[in-house]
Order: sequence, then structure tokens, then C-alpha cells
Amino acid sequence: MNMPKLPVQCPGCNAPLKVSKLYCEQCDTEVCGSFLLPPLSRLSEKEQNFVIDFIKAGGSLKEMAKTLNLSYPTVRNLLDDLIEKLA
Amino acid sequence: MEKQLTFWKKLQNPFLRIAGAAALGIGLAGICLNSLFCWLTDLHFQGLLHIGPAPTDAFGVIFAEHLIIWLIPAFLFYLWGRLLSRSKIRIIDVWGTTAFAQLPLLGIGIFGFFPAVQHIIHIQPSDLTPEWFSQSATISGLLLLLISLLFLIWTLIWMFKALKISCNLKSTRLGIAYTLSVILGDIVAVYLIHLLYT
Repeated sequence: MNMPKLPVQCPGCNAPLKVSKLYCEQCDTEVCGSFLLPPLSRLSEKEQNFVIDFIKAGGSLKEMAKTLNLSYPTVRNLLDDLIEKLA
Repeated sequence: MEKQLTFWKKLQNPFLRIAGAAALGIGLAGICLNSLFCWLTDLHFQGLLHIGPAPTDAFGVIFAEHLIIWLIPAFLFYLWGRLLSRSKIRIIDVWGTTAFAQLPLLGIGIFGFFPAVQHIIHIQPSDLTPEWFSQSATISGLLLLLISLLFLIWTLIWMFKALKISCNLKSTRLGIAYTLSVILGDIVAVYLIHLLYT
């Protein structure tokens, strides 16, 4: 069975979601509280794929541009927009 | 990430796929070819937004006109990019995309070969009579010139995309940088091209 995708935004008001409960399947321990999602988890699926492609390309924008069949400035702009979003 | 862009998307914004040296090479080839067309048809680009006859038919002058209408906006785009963009922009991308954006102007160069357009280009002040305006060649020529304006609009759209992609500018910054570059670029280009005629 496919795991459901982790929602990062509230379906009702689009506000960013927080983690309120964690569960250990091995010992049934539950951790409750208010935790922020890790920064990369807060990105959209498309943006997360971009980060994965960037790492796979060894951080080379030229390599990424070749793989994605996009121009160098287009890839650089996508990265710069991500940097701005994560800052 | 969508790896395959649709033909329409590529036509709207070719710079998603092409920039830098490749765009510069193709753009320069287009500029050389259009200079040749304009030399053969005696058509002159007297500014970024001005087309018409000129008192010279030297190939060097026509080629210089094309270089001016490419390099002036490219220089202004780079300047705005350095001032307003948060990205590390490359001059080769600005030059390349702006040169590539001149490609639709080839359409105007080709339209210059139509006899009706030639009829308009070679107009003399003494020709401006009501009879001249009612000639079928005049009407066809004016219509063709109007249609050829679409190529100019196409170039202006591609120049907008060139600035957006090569300098990573958005919304207000992009609008201001583009508008000022086109207006200022046209004024400077008209001035420099008129210096070529003296």
C-alpha cells in the first residue's frame, strides 16, 4: 500500500502545519507536543524533487541544466527562489 | 520537474531551454542574416522601435544598426540586473538571450523583399499625393508593414522574457526595469544610429 503524502499546508486555510504527535511502531510510545516540520519537508513536492536532483548532480547547476533540459539561468533562478524560501 | 516543454511554451519563452553561448551564437547568426536582408532591401532599423529608409546603403552601417539595437538594451538589462537582482547574473546569458530575442526581426527583413513594401520604402516626398495613397501597391505595402509590426511585438515579448530569465527579476522590479530599458534604449539607439548617418 502506498504511504499517504505528508501534508505541509492546512487544507482548510493553507497555513503551514505543525507536528503534534509522533508514534513509535515498535514500542507503542507516543510523543506529543508542538514541533516544526524540518525545513525541507515544508517545501512542495516539486521543490523537494529539485533539491534531490541538485544533490544527485553533485551541486552542479550546469549538470542539472543538462539533465533537466533547461537553460542554466532557469535552473539558477529555481535554486535562488528556493534559497529565498528557506532563508 | 517537467522535462518536456510544449511547443507553445517554448515559443512563448525559449529562454527556459536556451541561454548563454548557444543563444548568443544563434542570435548573432540571425543578426548577420537580417543585416544582409536589410542591405538587400534597403530597410533600416533606426532605433529599437523605428524602421524606415536612411540616407546610406552601406552594409557596415546596416550591420552597426543591428548591433546597436541589440547591445544597447542588453547593456541596460545587465545594468538593471546588477542593481535589482538578488541572483548572480552572467553577462553571457544577458547578451545571449537578448541577441536571440532579435530573431523575430528576421520576419521584417523578409517582408522587405515584397515589391509592395519596396514601393513604400522608396517613397519620395513628391510621391505623397492622394493618387499615391489610392494605389493598390501602396495599400498592400502599408498592410504588409502593419503585419510586420507583429514581428516587432514578438521581439519585445522575447526581450521581456530574456530580462526575466537572465536577470531573475519578477513583478514590479521586472516591469520597471523592462519599461525603462526599452524607452531609454530606444532614445539612445536612435541617437547613436543617427550619428552613423552623419
